Parts: sequence; C-alpha cells; structure tokens
Amino acid sequence: MSYARGTIAALVDAVVPETPAVGDDVQAAGALDIDLDETVETAFNELQEAPEGPIRSLGYETMPFAPLLALLLDVGALELILKREREAPLQSPDERFAGGPFSRLAREDRMRAIRLLEADGVVPGLDETYDAPIGIVAYLMQGALFITAMAAYSDWGDDSERPQGWEQADYPGPADGYAVHMGYEVDEFEENDYGADAEEGDAE
Amino acid sequence: MTGSGADMSDPDVVVVGAGGDAPALAWRLGQQGIDVLLLEAGPFHGNEQFPAPHSERGNTASASTDDLSGDLLDQQFTAREGDMGSPVDGKLRWGPADAERAPWARTVPQTGVISQVAGVGGTTLHYYGNHPRAFVPSINEQPHWPIDYADLVPYYQHLESVHPVKPAPTTPKAELFFEGARRSGYDLTTGLNVEDEGYRPFPNAIHQPDEALRRDGDYDGDFRDVSGDTLACHEHQGGPHPRGADFEERAKRGSLTSLVPKALATGHVEIRPNAFATEVLTRAGPGPLEACGVEYRDTWTGRTRRVFADAVVLAAGCIETPRLWLNSGLPDDGWVGKGLTTHHFDFVSGTFDSDTLEDVIGQRKVEPHQGQAAGSRLDVPGKGGIAVNTFAPGITASVMFSESIDGFAFENDTTGEPWDTHGRVTGTKLKEEMSDYRRMLTLICHTDDRPRQDNGVTLDSATEDEHGPVARIDWSPHPEDDERRDDLARRASKLLDEAGANHIHRAGAAPILLHLQSSMAMGKVLDSGGEALSVDRLFVADHSALANGVGGANPTHTGQALALRTAEHLADRYFDGVSDPIPANPTPASADD
Repeated sequence: MSYARGTIAALVDAVVPETPAVGDDVQAAGALDIDLDETVETAFNELQEAPEGPIRSLGYETMPFAPLLALLLDVGALELILKREREAPLQSPDERFAGGPFSRLAREDRMRAIRLLEADGVVPGLDETYDAPIGIVAYLMQGALFITAMAAYSDWGDDSERPQGWEQADYPGPADGYAVHMGYEVDEFEENDYGADAEEGDAE
Repeated sequence: MTGSGADMSDPDVVVVGAGGDAPALAWRLGQQGIDVLLLEAGPFHGNEQFPAPHSERGNTASASTDDLSGDLLDQQFTAREGDMGSPVDGKLRWGPADAERAPWARTVPQTGVISQVAGVGGTTLHYYGNHPRAFVPSINEQPHWPIDYADLVPYYQHLESVHPVKPAPTTPKAELFFEGARRSGYDLTTGLNVEDEGYRPFPNAIHQPDEALRRDGDYDGDFRDVSGDTLACHEHQGGPHPRGADFEERAKRGSLTSLVPKALATGHVEIRPNAFATEVLTRAGPGPLEACGVEYRDTWTGRTRRVFADAVVLAAGCIETPRLWLNSGLPDDGWVGKGLTTHHFDFVSGTFDSDTLEDVIGQRKVEPHQGQAAGSRLDVPGKGGIAVNTFAPGITASVMFSESIDGFAFENDTTGEPWDTHGRVTGTKLKEEMSDYRRMLTLICHTDDRPRQDNGVTLDSATEDEHGPVARIDWSPHPEDDERRDDLARRASKLLDEAGANHIHRAGAAPILLHLQSSMAMGKVLDSGGEALSVDRLFVADHSALANGVGGANPTHTGQALALRTAEHLADRYFDGVSDPIPANPTPASADD
C-alpha cells in the first residue's frame, strides 16, 4: 500500500464508509469494499496529460496528481490539528490507510481538513498573496469528492454487472424502456403573442 | 499560403467543431450548395468509417449518411454510467478519442466542475433534449443583444418542426412536480414565447413515446417494437433508444442523430473527427485582418495540416473558441473569452414517503430512473428556471450531494430555512440519502446570471499541451446572481414541500461549467450577423456567440437557431445568398395584437 493509495483510502472511507451497524448486508458495505481507493488513485493519475515541460521530461505522460492529492490532504489535516479545530480525537489509522495525519482524523474531521484546503485555510489564503492559480487546490478537492461519489454509486468504481452502488440505491441498471407514459399536460404549444408591455424591446 | 501540410480537400467554409450548434450551420450552408468541412476534436460515434473510435483511428472523414450505423451506436452507447460518462475515462468526455490517453487539460483555479463532451454532437451527446426558446425579456429587455427576439423566431420554428420539438409526456415524476407547482399557485404555460411565471412540460427534442407505453396499459414487449422515446431515461448516457432502430430514428434528437444526418444528406458537408484546431490562419485583407483557413492536428497521428477556405467558422464551444482565438494571436479588445455565463446552477432534492406518493401519483416510489430525464419545468423570467433533472445513482451522488461551495451539511445550520440539509453530504448521511434514491425527486435551478467582463476564459501560459497554452476559466457569481439563485432554490423547496416531500436537501452547487454561454458575445466580439468585428470572413456559431444566458432557459435551442441565422448571413456576405429563406410562421408574434 503506497502513501498515495493509503491516504486516498482514508478519503473514500469518509465519503462512503462501511456501516456494519445498520445490520443490512447491502447497505453495510463501503467504498473500500470495492477498492474505491484504487479507482480514485488511478483517476487522479489519469486526470490530465502532463503539459510540455519538466514533468514530461521526468517521464510522466500524465500528471501524477494522486500523490499530490495525498500530500495536500495531509497538509489540510496538519493545519486542522495545529489550529485545534479537530472535533474528535486522533485515531490509529485503519490498516488500509497510510500513516499521515489525514489518515488519523475521524471521518468528519477529514472533511473539515478538505474545507481548510478549499476555502478557509492557509492554502487558499496564499491566493491573495501570490499571483498564481492556487485555487487549483480547491478544484482538485472538489474533483476528489465528485469522483469518489460518482464512482462509488456507478459502474465506474465497480464494473461488475450489478455494481455495489446501484444495488445500494436499488437502481436496476440500464433498461431498454419503461411503460410510464401518462398522457400530456399540454398537447401542443402555441405561437402566442408577446411583448404587450415591452413595446420598444430595446433597453440600450 | 501554400505549404507541405496543405489539405487535399478544398472546402468553401471550414468549421472548427461539430458539436451541438455547428451541424445546424453546416446543414444550412450545405443546402445552398456551399461545401463545408467540419473539424471535430473528438470521436465520431455510430459511423462505419470509425468502427472502434476509442481504440483505433479508423478512416479520415465521413461525408455520407451511408456511414451512419444504428448497430454501431448500440454497441458503443452501453447506457452504463461510468462507461459512458466518467469525466476521466468515459466515452463521453472532454478528451481525445483514444481511450488510452488522459483528458485534455484545463486550468480551473477554484471550486468547480467542468462537464463538456468532445465528439460529433458535442455536449448534446449527453444533454437531455431540452429545447425551450429564450425567455423573451432576456433578449428584448436585457441590454446585451443587438438583435430582437423576433429575429430568432423563424429559426426556432424551423428547428421545432425538423427535430421535432414537442411537449414532453407526463410521467409519474413529472406529475409529482406538476402537482407541487399547482399547489404552489403557479399557472400552466402553453405558449412558446415565455414572459411570465408558470409551469409546463419541457419542450423537448425527443420523439414522443409510443402510445403503447401507457402506464395504465398492458405493454409487455422488449421496447424494440415501438417507435419514439422508450422512456428509458438514458439521455445523459448518450440516449441511444430505441435499441435496434435506424441511426436517424433514435428518440433523443441530439445533433449527432438529428442535424448531422441532415447536413451530410446535402452532399456538401464533410466531417473530420480527431482533428484539433490549433490556429486560425489569416492574411491582410482590404479592411482589417481576414481569416483564410485553419491549422489542425490529428489527435491519433500527431500530424499537422492546414486547410484553406473562403470563410472560417469557430464552433468549438465557450472555452475552446476563445482559447483558439487567443492562441492564434487574433485581436482582443477586452471581451474575447469574457462575459461567460453558466446559469449558476443549484440542485434541490425532495424525498417522499410511500403513502404520500401513493396519494399524489398512484405509485409508491418516484422512480427517478424512469421517463425522460428532464420533462417538466417551471419558468421564472427575470430569475431563471427550475426543472426536474434526474440521473442514475452515480451522477445523483456526485452532483446532488458532493459538489458545493457551501461546505458540508454537517456544519451548516438550516434552522428557519426551507431545506433540511444544505451543502455536501458524506458518510452515513450520504448512504441514507442514496438508499432513498427511488423515492427522491431532484430539481435543478438555472439562474439567469448576467455577463460580466471579469468572468471567462484566458490563456494559462504556464500550462501548455500539444495544442498550445490551455484555457484558464475563472467564474464567480455577482451578488445579484446569488440572490436570483437563492430565490429559485426557495421556490424549488416550496414546490417539493407542497408536493409532500418529507426531507429536502439543497446542494448550494459549486460552479458547474455545463451550460456555457456568451464568451464571444454578439454585440461585443461579433456583429449582428455572427461575424467577428475585428477579423473579416471569421464567424462564430456556438453558444459563445449568445449575448447572454437567454434568461436561464436551456441554451441549445437558441444556439442552434442563431447558428442557422449566422449561416444565412455568411452565405449572403461571401457566397450567392440564400435561395430558400426560412419563413416566419404567419401566426402573429408581435405586440400589436
């Protein structure tokens, strides 16, 4: 388990956790049960082709965003810890997690760390100090949550015939059709008059 | 002007992009006998010249409807969410056709999501077939447009008859929405020209369903023996239904299946996929600069070629059209790429208990995955619109619950608000929401956000790909846009509450770059015929040419109407004009009734 993979495991676990207490086998499973950490790591490493320049000359064809994501998550976690904004005690990381500070936060505190990275913390504050697109960090955080949720509830994260997320949503999967036609609220739209109280139509 | 890379073909007009709007322009030019070459950066699905578009290059171009294959479309469009729609490696993404490669880069230095599709048909590959006209006041009363609403009406009418555009059928989820709208006090709108508040079925470019598919009927077939929409709700995954039908008979009238065949049938249109334009070629003209061609790069071979023509049309979308303009060193008076509008979306969902649903719609679940994805709406001219917007679970989880600029639901106090939760939902709460998926109705709010010069596309000179510096997109709402969006979210919540929802969630969505308009606006960068003010023989015919966000109505109808109109201006200015003018329907459409 790499540092990137293990830190991303802590992320996907916080978004779609295993919940054994619900006592329902279908609903109990979490993102890690379908190895969503691997899906998200791969997605981040294949998010974007490497631009012309130093990264490409190091041999990367795509941007190695997964280790960057992991590093950023730890930066956010560290800031949360130093600012004493944690709401739950630090915990021993799950065996599938990496050993950094993000992996040691309780689930909601991991989301608070992301909030610092995209809006409230030191990193977004740099945006006003430096003439650089620091906001890309916020874009990556949004991407991490979007990708995690979409993959967890579709065939993206589980390409079996009946993905776990579809089963949890009770979605039957692609269909050829449904007989649910109930007629028409309007049979035909009409070419109605307009402009009665806007004669000039020119506000310039 | 000559060079070893010169293209063999000799079109009259070269068009950059074959997305949602360009096929309308190409069709209209082709009807006049003008030879048009469209260069499309992405793949061409359902075409025998490109039988495996994501694993091998295939042939070079397609110029005949004989190439279009319903069988190939059925193979390629699986209707599985990730397979079709993963923004990283799905078939409908912003990236090269080659599935082994990563998406193309953009720089977005803020919280947000981009949702564009490269390929013939462009973003209409995953659109919902929604074709409302612009709200009348957004054109006649807002100060942005140099033309009148009446100038667009003949083109709207033309498209409404050819796609065709018809009222969406009522389905259970639509009836739930309608009932919420009625109980909220809104009237039914039946007119095409919208100036006042009201609810209505969506005017959709989706063939109406077969009458055999009545809910109270006894249909028991495999949906291959019906014509029209099968109500499978796979618009976002490409919308290939009904399965087994001829290419042109697919119910969802995206540009790929509706306008592209019409354009090819003129015998004057050729489409070259896998061709990424990298430079607009110009020469000194009698007046200002004059466009004379395009340089492009084959995305499979990397070979660069040039093609010359009497006129050039940019239709690469609101992000790539200005990027190409700027990378070509064309003049910029301050509005190139600027004034971008996005409809500042929000999403509001309601979850219902089964007894309530039984009372209101006669069934115990909403079944969001059945019926047209977006078949009913509420218009609020001056503020925007609210529509039923349903998705399969993956997109529901991501769009509805995982993207927000308002933080996380667990930290947001909603006391006194009409919604129970607000912001991103994660953890056990997300699992609870998603386990209620089939009892959930999801609504989208399209805000009438207004063009501002601060919002839009610039070049990120520090990030360069094989096509040059990439586009950087900055967009943030004006406080007045936020107020309009908030108003819409409150109306959406009230509607869901009136319909009987027992749990309401507001996303507080982050900017989603999906509906994009007005980054090369007519009246700012373009004249009233769609030609660039600073470069002759250069036209723009995509949503970037719109002068604003058409009030928050879905923009495709107006984008295509304007593309038809621009084609006629192009033909008038540089060719022999238009032999068969599109007539306005004689039904009066003016104030002097």
